Formats: sequence, structure tokens, C-alpha cells
Amino acid sequence: MRRVVFSTYCWVVYAFLLAPIAVVMLASFNAGAFLTFPPQGLSLRWYWVFFENEVFWRAIRTSLWVATVATAISGVIGTAAAIFQVRYARRTREAVRIAMLAPLLLPEVLTAIALLFFVYGLGIGTRGMLGLIAGHVLITLPFVFMNVAASLESFDADWDLAARSLGAGRMARFRRIMLPMIKPGVIGGCLFAFIISFDTFTMSFLLKSVGTSTLPIQLYDYLRTNFTPEAAAVSSFSVLLSLVVVVVTEKVLGLNIRRF
Amino acid sequence: MRKAPLLLILPAALVLLAFLVVPYLNIVLMSLRVPGSGVPYAPGWTLGNYAKFFSDRFYLEQLANTLWIGVATTLACLLVGYPVAVQLARGTGAMRGLRYGIVLAPLLVGIVIRSYGWTILLGNNGVINRTLLGWGLIEGPLPLMYNGLGIIIALTHVLLPFMILPIMGAVQGIDPQLELAARSLGAGRNTAFRRVVLPMSLPGVQSGCTLVFILAISAYVTPALIGGLRVKTAAVSVVDALIDGFQWPFGSAMALILAVVGGLCVVGFQRATRIGWAVRR
Amino acid sequence: MTEVALRNLTKRFGSIAAVDGASLSIGHGEFVSLLGPSGCGKTTTLKLIAGFEQADGGEILFDGQDVAGLPAERRDIGLVFQNYALFPHMTVAGNLAFGLEMRKRPKVEITRKVAEVLEMVQLQGLGGRYPRELSGGQQQRVALARALVIEPRILLLDEPLANLDARLRDEMRLFIRNLQRRVGITTIYVTHDQAEALTMSDRVVVMFGGRVAQVGEPEDIYDRPASRAVAEFVGRVNVIAAEVTAATAEGCRVSCPLGEFTLPRPGRPGERIELALRPEAVVLSAGGPAVIEEAAYSGGLIDYRVRLGETVIDVQGFPAPRFSVGDAVSFDVPWARLWPLG
Repeated sequence: MRRVVFSTYCWVVYAFLLAPIAVVMLASFNAGAFLTFPPQGLSLRWYWVFFENEVFWRAIRTSLWVATVATAISGVIGTAAAIFQVRYARRTREAVRIAMLAPLLLPEVLTAIALLFFVYGLGIGTRGMLGLIAGHVLITLPFVFMNVAASLESFDADWDLAARSLGAGRMARFRRIMLPMIKPGVIGGCLFAFIISFDTFTMSFLLKSVGTSTLPIQLYDYLRTNFTPEAAAVSSFSVLLSLVVVVVTEKVLGLNIRRF
Repeated sequence: MRKAPLLLILPAALVLLAFLVVPYLNIVLMSLRVPGSGVPYAPGWTLGNYAKFFSDRFYLEQLANTLWIGVATTLACLLVGYPVAVQLARGTGAMRGLRYGIVLAPLLVGIVIRSYGWTILLGNNGVINRTLLGWGLIEGPLPLMYNGLGIIIALTHVLLPFMILPIMGAVQGIDPQLELAARSLGAGRNTAFRRVVLPMSLPGVQSGCTLVFILAISAYVTPALIGGLRVKTAAVSVVDALIDGFQWPFGSAMALILAVVGGLCVVGFQRATRIGWAVRR
Repeated sequence: MTEVALRNLTKRFGSIAAVDGASLSIGHGEFVSLLGPSGCGKTTTLKLIAGFEQADGGEILFDGQDVAGLPAERRDIGLVFQNYALFPHMTVAGNLAFGLEMRKRPKVEITRKVAEVLEMVQLQGLGGRYPRELSGGQQQRVALARALVIEPRILLLDEPLANLDARLRDEMRLFIRNLQRRVGITTIYVTHDQAEALTMSDRVVVMFGGRVAQVGEPEDIYDRPASRAVAEFVGRVNVIAAEVTAATAEGCRVSCPLGEFTLPRPGRPGERIELALRPEAVVLSAGGPAVIEEAAYSGGLIDYRVRLGETVIDVQGFPAPRFSVGDAVSFDVPWARLWPLG
């Protein structure tokens, strides 16, 4: 009896977790002109409207570009930091960990504000992408770090010693032993980073330059003034895009969560 | 030979220093500047921004309200998320991957979309109310939008993964043999769980609560969309002051007060729960 | 074939000297064991020879050349780890090829050598498998093969059999020893298992507290231990207190609880010494002044505890004749087997 109650409870929670997403996706098929639920008939018309809307496409392109750049930067920096923390840091180990996780623990709003003042102080303000990219790098860094550090936990120091005994210098060890080991962690981390960057609102909202817009911001604007299901169609598309990115990455680069 | 490893941490250190540490210090400075009209700030230094905050009842109430929302959300996440975390930690098989994916899915979907979904669900004409009305369970629509309750519900949804994952991690780290040992000594399944697993999962609970609380009080998008113009949390007020009102010094002071108060709550919480631990051991 | 010499080797961790002035010479193709309890410095010594640690004092010489400046990857060593340390993301063949690839050998040569070494360790055909698909014993053999295929100057093994069950350990001991003899490579073997050291080595180096306590052939170590510590670590031993009563032409007269005898070694009257007596050196017969206090059957042999007056000694005997607790026994003291310690 207890098992059933427990199991049911858990499924209710899972439903709770999926509900808003499901609702949005369903609402996008609404044939009517208003965002009602249940939908008044099913239709793809709002998808067509969205496909014609250059504003959203520009926003998607911007989001993709920012996410790619930020992920590339965090990927390198975060991986290097994780390798340092797990393999080399002795007394500084905890400090490095907290520092790398700091952007996650500090309120995103505060970090965004801080960066805003910073770029204004530098004189460039929100013109150009420095503030925006810097902000996205900051919020994605912890995810890369955590993922790579986790995959390094299972790294046996003896492998490095064995490679040394067989004549491998530092570069060879890094390329042949370390890199293959952390590949799943790096890929997982970068994937997380990409999606987090793509979906983040607050950071982009405060640091974007006039005239540019990321997808979440565009959606937010729309939601406040526009009550058609077009925004729902855009949202569904965004969810699908994230899903595709995850699946493709897994297939092509091999996420391989399996332990050795 | 010793130097090379330091090169690994150098980029991260520089990035954090330049874009996190320095800017944060700058906020502190900014909060002490004199407000300007038409420009972000005027020359000179003052403590007036803090005075303005603490002397205005509106802001104090808003802060208290925000903290309350944080606490409520944390409790809700704990109650809702703990069983799921345990199930995930112990589960095996194909379903496990699916469940794990469902828990992570909200994180990967984007805050705006999620909050948007909640607006559809919570409105007077929203899914929940129409369903309940349709089944005859209630007579009038429940006010779930544009108030604290709606914000709490939506925030719980948004932050649930942050409660589930640390607890799951803690439970996974518990040696399964410990529970078997308890049962071999005569404890029933539930007792074994209560006396062995539960206490050992508490560090995960502590991490989860801390994380959720901090994220809840500093959340922006969700309270903005759900609370609308009627209910504003402190974070929303801060952004308003900065973007719409151009009041950089005051906005900074507000933001810092929020962060510090939140931080004190967390420290107090960690102290309180740590003492309990020490006694128990 | 390489000669290895350690001269006054010292390594400190903080204020503790893990290796404290150790000196040793190992000849061409010799199989030498470093034997001692945990913490005696044997593994640290191995790491120093391998180049994973830098010595604080002393020298390490390969064929007369000081290798202190040489990093581990250039010392041309073969290392076998206790937990194998096989690269999990490479196949067996990949693991074996790695060292050769580091030495930039041509592909054709690598393929040939890998096949040869697989046959040498009796794992032919398993080149395509991954380490996780192999049993413990097989993994151990791959680790051995990986160290040998590069034809290093010396072979270093760090308690390689510790993770195997007893039966497998016995098999692998023979296997490693035979392989080493065939290849003829200078080998240093670290272990805390004295049976392993005694059966496998040309010479045994017993270490305590970072220092070399005794170096010698297995029989020397066992029958003629240099100190009480060595005697007690290598096998079981009875330590009997004795006193020199007089000096004689052949040596000296010694008195102990078991009786008086002549020790073929000089001694001053009044000198107190300790004598080592191995349990299996004593043969019991029925009837006599001694009494069996304990008897434990252990398969091929029986371990007795025998009391003679104030003295209690451990005796090991065959299953026949069999004695029980409380039986009266006697024995002839094997005077020749009493070895003075220290």
C-alpha cells in the first residue's frame, strides 16, 4: 500500500514538473485567436505566423550566437579550472570550488547589475556585446566546471603514473589519457551551458544593447502585450530546438553517461 | 614544472576577478553614491540610500514579504521534492533515465517559457480554475495569479530541481548496506529509513534548502510575470528602480540589502542545522 | 640488462623520513624483493627509482649513471601497479601499444610486438577486448605485458598480486618468475608478503622504518636473520633469552631455558643474547617434561604451543604423530638451528 501511495505521489510531482511546459506546447496548437485552454480546435496557424515573423527569427539567431560564443569560452576556462581543482589544487581546493560555483550562488540579478555598472564604468555601456557575453560566460561557467569536475572524480591518478612510466610526456598524457576521460564531462557541461545561456532571461535583459534581443526577452515582451498563441508556438519551437541540440550532441559526440 | 598547473586556473581566475569581484565591489560603491536626476548618479557620497530604504515602511514590508516567499518556497520544495529525490537515488533501470530527464527538463526549457506556462495555468480563466469549476469542486475561481500564492507555486516548480538534485546526491552516497544492517538488527523498512537514511540525507537537505532559498528571494522573471503589477518582490523592485527609474544608487542599496539579509538568513540556517547535527552525532 | 644502485637514499615527508639512508646494489637480470610492513619505505623507494618522487638525499644509479635529473618518462622503466592501472578507454592492444607509440616505433613493429607479448602472457586473441571485460588475473597479465613490451631497462612491480585471491596469487607468482627468467630483466618487486618474497627472489631486501635491515638470499634471511625484527617478520619464530657462560675454543658456552650448548661464535661471559628458533625445527615425541598447551590443525601441518617449565615455544609438526592439548611431550633441542640475533 505504501509503495503505491509513494509511487503515485512521485508521478504527481513529475506531472507537476511537466505541466507548464505541456500546457504551453498544447496552447500553441490553438486554432482560435486567444490564449485559452483547452484550445478551441487544433491548428498550426500560429506556427506559420511565427515562421513569418522576422523579429523572432532575429532573436533566435542572436540567442544561438551568444550561446555558442559563451559556451566556447566557458568550455575552455571551466574545463581548465576543473582539471586544476581536482588534480592539482591542494590547500586551495575548497576555495577554488566555491569561487567557480559563485556565479550560481549569487543572485543572477545582482551579477547582471554589477556587470551593467561595470561596462558603463568602462565607458562602453551596453553597446557591443562585451557585457552580454561576459554575463553569459559567468552564468555558464559553474555548469561546465561541475560537470567536468564530476567526471574527473573517477580519474585514477595511477593512470597518469602508468602513462609516465611508459614514456609519455605532459602533452601526450593530456591528449591520450586525460582528454578522453573527461570528454563526457566536457560535452555534458557544454551542453548544459549552451542551453542555460540560450534560455536565460535576466542577464540578457539587463545587458543587451538597444536593438538586439535574445529569444527569452522577445518572448517576455510578447507575453506582456500580446495575447495570441504565437508566443506559445515560439516557446514550443524553442523547447524542440533544445531537445534537438541534446539528442544530436549525444549521437554525434557521444555523451556516454555509462561508467567505465 | 610546478608553474604549468597554475596556468589552468589563470583564465578562470581572471574572468571571475574582472567580471565578478570587481563589479560586485563596485555595487557597494554605487550604493553609497548620491542619486542624480537625469543621470545615473551625482558626485559625492552618502548613506542616504540605505536610510531611505530602512525608513520606508513599504520597502521593509516588501523585503519581509520576499523573505516569506523564499521560506514558503523552500518548504514547499522540500516537502514535494524529498520523496522524488529518494526515488531517483534508489531507482534502477530504464525508468530512472526518464525520471532523471523529467527532473532536469524544467532547467533546460527556460524560465520565461515556464513562467508563461504558469500564467496559463493559474489565471482566473486558467486551466486549473476551469478544471476545478468544471468538476464542480469549487464555486468561484481561486485567486492564484497576481498574488504571493501564485508566485510560490510557480517558484516551487522552477526551483524543484535544485532541491531534488542535492538530496539525490546525498542519498546516493549512503552505503546501501547500512540500511540492510539496520534491518538485520530488527528495524522495519520504514524505521530503517527514518533512523538511517533520513539523518544521513540531511546534508543534502541543507544544501538544497540553502540553494532554493537564495534563488527564490533573488528570482526576477517568475515573480514579475506571475505577480504582475500587483505584487512585486524585492528583486523586481530593484530592476524597476534601475532600468525604469534610473536610480542606480538606490537600486544598488536595495540589491545589497536583499543579498545581505538573505545571506544572514542562510548563515543562521546553517548554524542552526549544524548544531543539531553535532548533538546528534 | 641494467644494474641499479641506491646510495644513501633519503626521502622525507614533512619531518618523517620515509626512506632513511637506504643503500643497495642490484645486478644484471636479478630479481630482488623489497620486503617489509606497511610504512617501511619500500613503496617510496620504488617511486624514487621510478622517478615519481625526487630524493632529498643520496643517489640512484642505472648502470653507474645518476638518474636524478631524469624525469620518470625518460628513465625507460616498466611499472606494474597494484591495481593494474590499465587505461579503461583503450583496448588491451591499445594499452600495450601505448608505450611503443610514445617511443615512436613504426606501426608494423608495434603490431608485431603487441602480438608477441600477448602470446608471452598467454592472452593471445584478447587484444580487442577492453580491460573491464577481463578477469583480475587477466588484467594483471595485461599490466605485466604492457610493462614488458617496451623492453625497459628495469621492471618495477608494486605489490601486483595483492588484489588477487590466494589460488591465483600462487599461479601468478610462478608465472611472473618464469617470465622474468626468460626475459632476463632486472626486476625490483615490492611486497609485504614474506612467502612471496622468499619464493620468487634471487635476493630479498628487508626494510623497516625506511632503512635496509638485511639483504640476502631467501635462505639467508630465513635461517640467519640479522635482527629480531627481521626474524619475526619473515616467518614465525621463537625468541629465546640466553646468556654466555664461558668462552671456548670453538666459540662460547651459552645457557638458556632449553639447556646449555656451544655456539660457534665468539662471546664474552655474562653477555646476554637472544636466540631464534624456527617452529618447524623442533621435533616432538611422546612423553616427557613438556606439555602441549594449544594445538591448531591447519591442513598439512599442526601448530602447537608447548610449555617447558617457564618457557613457552611454538612448534610446527606433521599430522603424525598427532598430539592433543594436555599431552606430555619432549623434544631434542636442535642446537644447530639456534641462531643468535643481533
